Amino acid sequence: MRLAYYPGCVAQESGKELDMATRWVAKRVGIELVEFPNFSCCGSGFIDEANSVLNTALNARNLAIAEKAGLDLLTVCSTCTGMLTLANVKMKDPKVRQRVDGALAQVGVKYGGQTKVKHLLQVLTEEIGTAKIAPMVRRPLKGLKVGAFYGCHLIRPAKELGGGSPEEPHQFEDLIAALGAEPVMYRGRVMCCGFPILFVREPTANRIAATQIDDARAHGADAMATPCPLCHLSLDGFQNQAAKVVGHDLHMPVFHLPQLVGLALGGTPEELGLPRHLVATDSALAKIGSVAVPA
Amino acid sequence: MAEEGLVHVPIDLYRFDPATDKAPRYQRFELDLAPHTPVLTALLKIREMDPSVTLRYSCRSAICGSCAMIVNSKSRLACQTPVGPELEAHGRIVIDPMRNLPVIRDLVVEMTGFWGHYKKLQPHLIPDPHHPLPEGRESPMSPAQVEMFKETPRCIACGSCYSACPAVEADPEFPGPMALAKLYRFVVDPRDGARRDRLLRIQPGGLWLCLRCHLCTESCPKDVEPSQRIRDLKEMAIQLQGATENGSRHAVGFKENIRERGTLNELKLVRQTYMPLDMLARIPQGLRMARRKPEFIRTPPKIAGLDEVEKLYQILDDAPREGT
Repeated sequence: MRLAYYPGCVAQESGKELDMATRWVAKRVGIELVEFPNFSCCGSGFIDEANSVLNTALNARNLAIAEKAGLDLLTVCSTCTGMLTLANVKMKDPKVRQRVDGALAQVGVKYGGQTKVKHLLQVLTEEIGTAKIAPMVRRPLKGLKVGAFYGCHLIRPAKELGGGSPEEPHQFEDLIAALGAEPVMYRGRVMCCGFPILFVREPTANRIAATQIDDARAHGADAMATPCPLCHLSLDGFQNQAAKVVGHDLHMPVFHLPQLVGLALGGTPEELGLPRHLVATDSALAKIGSVAVPA
Repeated sequence: MAEEGLVHVPIDLYRFDPATDKAPRYQRFELDLAPHTPVLTALLKIREMDPSVTLRYSCRSAICGSCAMIVNSKSRLACQTPVGPELEAHGRIVIDPMRNLPVIRDLVVEMTGFWGHYKKLQPHLIPDPHHPLPEGRESPMSPAQVEMFKETPRCIACGSCYSACPAVEADPEFPGPMALAKLYRFVVDPRDGARRDRLLRIQPGGLWLCLRCHLCTESCPKDVEPSQRIRDLKEMAIQLQGATENGSRHAVGFKENIRERGTLNELKLVRQTYMPLDMLARIPQGLRMARRKPEFIRTPPKIAGLDEVEKLYQILDDAPREGT
């Protein structure tokens, strides 16, 4: 399967471990990542707040790059997925389309609306399928209870994003089960991580992150896993701040989605970038026993 | 076995009377109901069995907004939620009161906080002294003007969005989705004389605490789409007064940041958002990040085709924009 790889900003920068794990997993499950050096940032929801039409145009340009190559777009971030998908939806509004098409024409770009945006989670569970992933598992994550944390922009607004239930998604839990781990169901899995207001009012953002971490723990989770590097920043990168705000320890290891898949497929913690986390993942790794993989 | 055409419905109902109970509990009721029976009808049958069960309801037609509650973890109007699909998905029906509002008894919550935020917005037309409303008759609007309200006039103030909102849960200053959707309705009303003031007044702690998680939009029984209208208000606020606080500085800073390299310069964004003192306070956390994630303090390379991005900014951002 060939897909245009849209890593997004964070996976190329402070969340580089997400890119490392994505490449590692893609190779094992048969996804060829076709790279484009000219993709720009999705706007992360912030450019949309400052100038919605500009944001649509920037993403239509990204979508056009993939379209020209005849490829669908692979994302590894809930927010990128949401922003690029929303651009596809907004381009169906004739007024927006006219303005964006006009601007794109001036830079020699034409977007025909054909590019589909697919998050790695969707590719693994729907296109490849958990039935094919399960036999690839070399180190079943037995004994590990994982709370999936979806990230808002992967599931909402449902009307625009289409497919799946925004309130009761299950793809991530299906995947976690296929890897041999036990998915934990909790309210927080479809809630917000707080990241969008981390720069607006940090303690409020921290409190929101802590609420979801506490909820996952209360339902038995040993670790959380997320398909969004922004959620990862909030849940892992700022977990120490969240603990300070709520006044108790959190100590919750948080995996990027492909890191969890990679561990089950036999990747080492180093290959998957686990030492880059701010919260140590040792306690979760201990649950799945030796990190050595049978030959 | 339930009668033909009926299904057996186990209902776990939240019960709590703060005056007498130490903690909330769930009480199990078992009913045989037709699958299309609304949850509200089921609750009224339960109340016949146990008159102490307390709930709010009125119209039974999804108009009054009184019976908003949590059905199997989702914000719903009980009167328009049939038991059948809930039973199919969950095998039972768990009913809780709305969140983010204190429980008075069982499903009845104290809504003063919700209304307080709403009232503060002056949710009524404030006539423009320069363009007085016509005396003694209606002030008509054109269909195009009415369209600017989007779906906001459909709001029935049921409180579902307020109950679903994680910003409300975490920060009492945030007015909540309903109040902001109503604010939007007045900000775009061409007859209102306080449109600018409304927008300027709400900003600190108001607009920019919205997480754009869209939980409000999903919970709304009337498809008002509060999260989209809050986004609209943010863009209007920036156009009206520029970047004046962390939230708007972050949005505008982000936009300018991407213009320079096509990809995010993370460290620079921090500088673009925070005032110097805020910046200083965050140095320890920044160093902690940089130790594990050295890319955080590196300047990323420019993307190929940055000239195209620059041109799009020139056409769509530098030129004056239409709208409010």
